[in-house]
Amino acid sequence: MAIESDVLVVGGGLAGLTAALAAARSGGDVRLLSYKQSTLRSASGLVDILGYTPAGDGPLTDPYGAIPTLPETHPYRTVGVDTVREAMSLFDEAAPTYRGAHTDTNALVPTHGGTVKPTGRYPASASAGLASDGRDMLLVGLESMTDFDAPRAAAHLEAAGVPFDVRGVEIQFPGDLRADAKVTRYAKLLDTDGEVSVRGRERPAREALAARVAPHHEGEGRVGFPAVLGDDDPGGVRAALADHLGAAVFEVPMGPPSLPGLRLEDHLFAALDDAGVSIETGNPVTGFEGEDRVEQVFVDKNGAKIPNTAEQYVLATGGLVGKGIDSDREAVHEPIFDCHVAHASDRYEWFDGDVFGDHPFARFGVDTDHHLRPLAADGDVEFENLRAAGAVLGGYDFAAEKSGSGVSIATGYQAGHTAAQEAS
Amino acid sequence: MSDAESPHEFEPAEPNTGEEFETVEVFPEDSFDLRPGSDSCYKCSTCDTNCPVAEVDDEFPGPKFQGPEQWRLKQNEEDYEIDDSVMDCSNCMRCDNACPAGVPLSQMHNTARGEYVSESMSKRSVTYWRNRILANYRTSARIASTVPRLANFVMNFGPARWLMEKTMGVTSEREFPAFATETFREWYSREGGAAGSRERAREHRERVGDPVDADKKVAYFHGCYSNYNTPEVGKAMVRVFERFGYEVVVPEQGCSGTPMFANGMLDDARRDAEVNISSLSDLVDQGYDAIASCTSCSMALRQEYPELFDIEGVDEVAANTFESVEYLRIHEDLPGALEDADIDDEMAAEFAYHAPCHARNQGLDRQAVELFGDLEAVDIEDVGDSCSGISGTYGWKSEKYEKSMEIGEEMFEHMEHAEGDTGMTECPTCAMQMEHGTGYEIRHPLELLEAALVD
Amino acid sequence: MASAPHIVVIGGGSTGVGIARDLSMRGLDVTLLEQGNLTHGTTGRMHGLLHSGGRYAVADQASATECIEENRVLRDIASHCVEMTGGLFVKRPEDTEEYFERKLEGCRECSIPAEVVSREEARAMEPHLAKDIDRAISVPDGAVDPFRLVVANAASAQEHGARIETHSTVTDLLVEAGEVVGVEVEHDSGSGKRVHGTAGARERIRADHVVNATGAWAGRLGEMAGVDIEVRPSKGVMTIMNVRQVDTVINRCRPKGDADIVVPHETTAILGTTDEEVDDPADYPEKQWEVDLMIDSLSELVPVLAEARTIRSFWGVRPLYEPPEVGSDDPTDITRDYFLLDHDERDALPGMTSIVGGKFTTYRMMGEEISDHICAKFGIEADCQTAEVPLPGSEEFSVLRDYMDEFGLRSPIGRRSVERLGSRAETVLQTDEPNPTVCNCEAVTRAEVQDAIEGSGSDLNAVRIRTRASMGNCQGGLCSHRLANELHGNYDEATTRAAWDELLQERWKGQRHALWGEQLSQAMLNYALHATTQNRDNDPADGDPVEFAAFDSGDPTVGRSDGHDVAADGGCRDGD
Repeated sequence: MAIESDVLVVGGGLAGLTAALAAARSGGDVRLLSYKQSTLRSASGLVDILGYTPAGDGPLTDPYGAIPTLPETHPYRTVGVDTVREAMSLFDEAAPTYRGAHTDTNALVPTHGGTVKPTGRYPASASAGLASDGRDMLLVGLESMTDFDAPRAAAHLEAAGVPFDVRGVEIQFPGDLRADAKVTRYAKLLDTDGEVSVRGRERPAREALAARVAPHHEGEGRVGFPAVLGDDDPGGVRAALADHLGAAVFEVPMGPPSLPGLRLEDHLFAALDDAGVSIETGNPVTGFEGEDRVEQVFVDKNGAKIPNTAEQYVLATGGLVGKGIDSDREAVHEPIFDCHVAHASDRYEWFDGDVFGDHPFARFGVDTDHHLRPLAADGDVEFENLRAAGAVLGGYDFAAEKSGSGVSIATGYQAGHTAAQEAS
Repeated sequence: MSDAESPHEFEPAEPNTGEEFETVEVFPEDSFDLRPGSDSCYKCSTCDTNCPVAEVDDEFPGPKFQGPEQWRLKQNEEDYEIDDSVMDCSNCMRCDNACPAGVPLSQMHNTARGEYVSESMSKRSVTYWRNRILANYRTSARIASTVPRLANFVMNFGPARWLMEKTMGVTSEREFPAFATETFREWYSREGGAAGSRERAREHRERVGDPVDADKKVAYFHGCYSNYNTPEVGKAMVRVFERFGYEVVVPEQGCSGTPMFANGMLDDARRDAEVNISSLSDLVDQGYDAIASCTSCSMALRQEYPELFDIEGVDEVAANTFESVEYLRIHEDLPGALEDADIDDEMAAEFAYHAPCHARNQGLDRQAVELFGDLEAVDIEDVGDSCSGISGTYGWKSEKYEKSMEIGEEMFEHMEHAEGDTGMTECPTCAMQMEHGTGYEIRHPLELLEAALVD
Repeated sequence: MASAPHIVVIGGGSTGVGIARDLSMRGLDVTLLEQGNLTHGTTGRMHGLLHSGGRYAVADQASATECIEENRVLRDIASHCVEMTGGLFVKRPEDTEEYFERKLEGCRECSIPAEVVSREEARAMEPHLAKDIDRAISVPDGAVDPFRLVVANAASAQEHGARIETHSTVTDLLVEAGEVVGVEVEHDSGSGKRVHGTAGARERIRADHVVNATGAWAGRLGEMAGVDIEVRPSKGVMTIMNVRQVDTVINRCRPKGDADIVVPHETTAILGTTDEEVDDPADYPEKQWEVDLMIDSLSELVPVLAEARTIRSFWGVRPLYEPPEVGSDDPTDITRDYFLLDHDERDALPGMTSIVGGKFTTYRMMGEEISDHICAKFGIEADCQTAEVPLPGSEEFSVLRDYMDEFGLRSPIGRRSVERLGSRAETVLQTDEPNPTVCNCEAVTRAEVQDAIEGSGSDLNAVRIRTRASMGNCQGGLCSHRLANELHGNYDEATTRAAWDELLQERWKGQRHALWGEQLSQAMLNYALHATTQNRDNDPADGDPVEFAAFDSGDPTVGRSDGHDVAADGGCRDGD
């Protein structure tokens, strides 16, 4: 007996979570299957909509304004700019700690590498760090955290021409943590305000951290830290530090593993729980049954094949990183439904010679019709009840465009919403 | 098929202990080279963000280092030592559930731990013997349960516990679980064993109008805890399955090996695995599915055995092993059966449910809440996705006790917040920690199913 | 001696640094010039095999004998660069018995210790060997890190007073009255250590003698002086696997052929190779079929290679030389022996000597011979010491010491660090500062990176070859910016940014040949990190000014009044 639902979403990243949420909000009985944790924890936690055109123009101030100028095959063109707006509204509702919805204009957020990048939504934790805010800035790095060198980032921001004075200092995190302590260790200490030992005395972590920063603080209006300021209670951690320092406190988004990404994932899963979505994680979908329609899919549990069946299916398994798109020496493919993925037969045409060149591999993914249904090589719909969303889609280079999260949210929303309507 | 027809003349009702079992060395050296497993790693560190130990203990370098990094840096030279921090891993296996790239993390940890214990740990050290005794809980439990009342007294007798803490490093903060006066296997025998179960299953089939000779038969892997400490869970399993028309056999079995993996005692684990695979694969061949009520036991049979041991039949057993409620969910209309269920006893309660870490890899961490969410007479609240912190034997070690409680703190808080004062979980050691941290009484989902479905 | 002759050695590969070390130890005044980083040419592009001589034991016994002699020397003087893995010549059923016997016989004739091992024994040593191999011959092959070896030679030469200039291209030879009297050199960024953004400089360096040790580029140097040096560059591909599938060098036991060796190298295994003549040692095609051939052929010996992850491929150009009168058609027929060309005798051009041909394993012997030759020219009687005096890092050193506890490093990190640093470990790793791991794949700590920066200037590729940082499975994806961070403090931001970009480009170059499966996924992740998270591809610091005022400066309704936005963005659960 198969496990049943109206809409079955395969994939638990930003696109899959949005699809499941949109489907549930549209009244569907929704089940989400996710193999492992998604790339949300590898991403910075910023929610980009569109920062640059495919031709590299930018940074764009108005992402929505640029959408109609994108190539027709771009997923944003498939769903249309109105859907992008609706989808962002759903996101704003599901992720109440995100900022940026008050304007259509992109924000420029300092990165841990010292550049700034355009983004559509940013976590509250990063909001005091915006580069268009004129307040002077002090960046604080932790000596044993090699990913972020505050003095170098400050100098880099200066070279980028930011409209404020910025300095960087390095401190040792109080408590003599081992040099390879994980970001979650810092976050936990700050969340729980745990005791740390400073010169033989036990002090609460938040106060001790602020005390380490204070001597370096020269009245800058805001102080930025690498994104380790709490997991469960980041607002409380920032408030405490801000009180001690008398300045706004923010986080500089980091590369993997990313606490802001992790917090966003938590928010979205909580929203799914509230919406009554049934969720199963941990095991892969490895096969399916059906010709023109997907009849059922199979979850593989160490060799046991567990059938799951639904009216409508959403494929949101990610791109090359999430393994929704896979490759070998000969070809590129979509592993679950074997949907067509266009690619050059010569793998030396999959990339450009320059590290930031125009890489075809970055655009690998399935092509779809206007309803986001994957198309076979001959242009026919692969399955009438299968829609694709997020990075499994082809035709856009999210890294160059800074459009990854926005495309996932918009196509996830559209796929989930339509699937639920069709299923009912 | 009657038992007499079974090709091995195997009487599943006979509570064999497996003591006489002769091990056959199929693969004399289980020295897996796991370096190729590092090929899947992209260094994204998602695993590290899931590690409950690294979060409270910066001496522990996290699963990425312990797994793919350490293995990749390893060279097959004799003096390439495994870092001793591998012993701080609690074997919760959450990293397995995290890795987006499919790195065999817990397999790497288990193998490294085994290598560390066999090559770098002194076999004369107190820690080694303490770990070995903790890991071989079944041995102690078997002896103790012959004199349960005496054992219950002695094990929690203050001076004895003080001595254990001082000499062995077993924390005296915890209370040892009580031994039941009648083990599950004794009860099962008394109820007529396999023949009795078959008869009752047939009655139920008749009652609901199923074919009387329906091919519904399962082999129950009760594990140590349901047998010696909480036979009520085992009894609930048998009654619930029989109610759906399944005949339940209870094969010869040893420890699943979970505590042994966590302590790097791979030889001990293998000895029991051979017993378990041998008896279960016979039954699987005969069309039985293997059912466990403890999620760590099902995890061992499904994942750890095939990853660590080359024993004949290991893959077949893995593919046919299920957690008890999961099995019913797949094969029966459980939501339908629960729709008009009526609970009027003590199980009509508000449960604070904790999903054991080992349930996660099996995709079972939300099962109980989703299933019981619509039950009228009960409320069930998920207390969050944190680790309970006990991780089997980890929380029993004096030097780990504080960390264990620190990890569990989040769960305790959520339990306190939840309505009601009854907890629920599938894992017996999580239950121990839940009870220890909150004083709640802890039940197994099968007990609720029994209350709802069995008259 | 009142004033030691000044010798200019051109070429910073193994041969060049070997000569520089030898001559400077004998008291001569040496300047070494290298157009790129040390090992820029062929040396940095080899499979890292320390030959036992077994590979030449049938066809070229002179080379084989030299190899086993030098193999013994290097184990001694360069212990921290060498791993004695042992090697196997593996015979598959389709390979001839006759060749197997000739190989065994040849090894014995050249005094190379060789034993026949059965299939079972071979597979016990290397479980990933194919089940259907016949048997094998074991020989004392080893693995050597060419980067470390060259850097150690250069460091030793410097200790003996030599001047080492990298990123310094010889643009002309100074010829006066029919004699080479020096070189004209262009320094990329001034003399001394390379620093990005420093203005270049031209320099004329006078020399009593010039040694042309430029390998595949020897012909070009010859042209500057108007002499013909008929180097026949031959390219070969090497494919790097992400992990070591084998811990022993695996050779195919059959006559010369492509794709017949797997060398365990540090954390990786290197598959080699091909042998194809090219016109230009700096510009030749790098083809897909060459990579595919490595994987397809060598998986006959080690089947797991077929599905294993490769992290990059690179090509090296052998500086083969044969006297013009031999006239081999096939580059594989050209001898691997080396030739000393005294241009005075050969071309009536005094003041310059070239050394061509040869192979990495015998670099020291080549250095010794040319040094003898030069000393003889100047009437200097000084014994060669390079066979006895250990290289810096290999002095009185035992890897068995328990360094891990001493330096507060985890077991495999301490172990790898000490293997790389050898006897310098204590000096480098002893620190009171936090010493986090900068490159997790290769276990390189900050202390080691800082030590390398001291020796490399702002050049992160030079840091890379000294430490292996960014040479693991992420190929710099997660550590390039960390390395740039480490530079800062020593160098200003613009310099670190230039070095960072250069490292990213270099890492991309070889990775392009491994873009399928896991490495394509890794490349996409790296691209996302660098472009999406860091916006390195559109860095406003590099490009046009940004009009900051045109972008969102924050929601005026949230949190600005009290200076911080601390809305409850905490946990996701109720009550948090």
